[in-house]
Amino acid sequence: MKFIRVNMSDKSIHVEDVPQEYAGLGGRGLTSILVNAEVPPQCDPLGPENKLIFAPGFLTGTPLVNTSRISVGAKSPLTGGIKESNAGGTIGASLGHLGITAVIVEGQASDGDLSLLHINGQGEATLIPAQGYKGMRTYALVEKLLATYGEKNSVMCIGPAGEYQFASASVQSSDVDGRPCRAAGRGGMGAVMGAKGLKALVVDQRGKNADVIANPQAFKEATKVVVEAVKADHMSAEVMPNLGTAALVAPVNAMGAFPSYNATKGQLDGWEKISGEAMAEIIKERGGKTTHRGCDKCMIHCSNEYVDEDGKFVTSSLEYETIWATGGMTGITDFDVIARLDYLCDDIGLDTMNTGVAVAVAMDAGYRAFGDAEAAIEMVEEIAKGTDFGRILGNGPAAVGEHFDHPRVPVVKRQSIAAYDPRGMLGNGITYATSPMGADHTAGNVVGAYLEHKLDPLSPEGQVDTSRFLQIAMAAFDCMGQCFMANVALLHPDGFGAFQKLIEAKTGTQFEDGYFPFGMGTRILKAEKEFNRKAGFTKQDDRLPKFFYEEPLSPHDKVFPISDAELDSVLEF
Amino acid sequence: MKVKVKLYGTLSSNVPEYKPSQGIEVEIPDDATVKDLLAYLEISETRGAAVIANGRVLNANDELQNGSSLDVFQSIHGG
Repeated sequence: MKFIRVNMSDKSIHVEDVPQEYAGLGGRGLTSILVNAEVPPQCDPLGPENKLIFAPGFLTGTPLVNTSRISVGAKSPLTGGIKESNAGGTIGASLGHLGITAVIVEGQASDGDLSLLHINGQGEATLIPAQGYKGMRTYALVEKLLATYGEKNSVMCIGPAGEYQFASASVQSSDVDGRPCRAAGRGGMGAVMGAKGLKALVVDQRGKNADVIANPQAFKEATKVVVEAVKADHMSAEVMPNLGTAALVAPVNAMGAFPSYNATKGQLDGWEKISGEAMAEIIKERGGKTTHRGCDKCMIHCSNEYVDEDGKFVTSSLEYETIWATGGMTGITDFDVIARLDYLCDDIGLDTMNTGVAVAVAMDAGYRAFGDAEAAIEMVEEIAKGTDFGRILGNGPAAVGEHFDHPRVPVVKRQSIAAYDPRGMLGNGITYATSPMGADHTAGNVVGAYLEHKLDPLSPEGQVDTSRFLQIAMAAFDCMGQCFMANVALLHPDGFGAFQKLIEAKTGTQFEDGYFPFGMGTRILKAEKEFNRKAGFTKQDDRLPKFFYEEPLSPHDKVFPISDAELDSVLEF
Repeated sequence: MKVKVKLYGTLSSNVPEYKPSQGIEVEIPDDATVKDLLAYLEISETRGAAVIANGRVLNANDELQNGSSLDVFQSIHGG
């Protein structure tokens, strides 16, 4: 259990034991509480006072499966508030096996200076000059890094967008095949990494110094509950391995909540061509992989490998949110184009969601027509080139809206919404408005409750309580390093208890009943809200853009009806 | 009554030679509910079926209407 502090100003590296106040935390809890404690809230997110934190989940590196998530946290150059963005791949587990709780990147390299941080199998960290990798896109970069440092390494890195410090820049994470196709996409964490002068983090996968589990027997017993629940649920055991998250296209579109043509309609013409079912057919016909393991220690295999007509790799993994942002929002219904856009975003180091929506806003403003595939590809390539328009696009939908003086910009705190329209799924709108992260579906996604008929997506009744509960639960869950696909374990009657037992078994400490998720989740959300308040956010920032309240969405012809007072009550604790 | 049904997710494996573009037509008793339809299609509760008609998720006990078009999905908690 150690922190590695890397100062990019003087290139010093210090290792310290994890202070007591961070005991039992990992992932989002660790990054958010540390950012709130150590980063001046009013600082320039792209300046030396910001800190960029890489933290594997608290259970990452333990024998529990599906635990390979890593959180990347800092003050966001996109939202201006606190940010945690998490990714799969292999690097979380690599750090976990070395007993590294967090890598904290501080200070700032001098202009134009670029380094990479290498952590070897003994957990020793070294900063290495990386001038030779300047401007490189992520696929070529990772190939070169793995050739240099060996295939048994994990990489997190930035592409040109991160070096340009664009607000939509992602941090890309290598998967089990060594491809940088997993992303901590949201909130411009790649820009913070670029501002620090850090091109990549390279970590040896062969570490054998994982944290000691205080009570291995209790850990094993709680693990059994989680694994059985994941094995028994249709989502994790059946739908995800066959269709992946793309399976959401059809039901969300059928519910009239699939934001299309820059959120001017709730259903997409030609949606059948970009459904999960259609994707699986195309991949099968061409000899790609509909089932693929993207992350270390994964038993779900929700990933896929999309290939072209000749069976050649195009991208991995094509996901629901990307299909929506680059397809539904832009009116593009050609999977080959969507797959190409996904690859380009990964390669340039861009959040597919913020970028797809930025393209959609430009189309809505009349810059190009909806459905113009060639234009979409050209626009994304402009970001990599750093042209004047590319710079605007790379800073996301809000920047594009300002450029064209176009009012229909579906963002909260400047971050794009996700693939669930707030007018068709009210609870998701509440989460977008009130999450300290900005519009973020992973902060509290209500879609499952709608499909299970537990809640009417169009009726305000029960939405605030459901969003609040999910936001607390997800804040705690995001600490564990568990994949979202495994969150079905929480639906098991003993699910929450099992996670509490896992934390207790690892730490050897008893917590009060309900610590997971309530004690832990509210502690994290409070820290995040406190940071945002000090950074200058007010209640007015916890609102959806005006058009969601004014423009009815077809087919249900509804606007967003939740009052400001109700929104203010969501995280009032 | 007769209803038109389209199956999504992995549910199409319940119907041999299922064609996604066409779906299937099902003849069920006049007072059949959503639950009855799922039983007819041999879709067990564990598969998380969600039946949607006209943009609304139906309740298990909702009665079906002759000639209606129904889409059957599997519940998913997010992506």
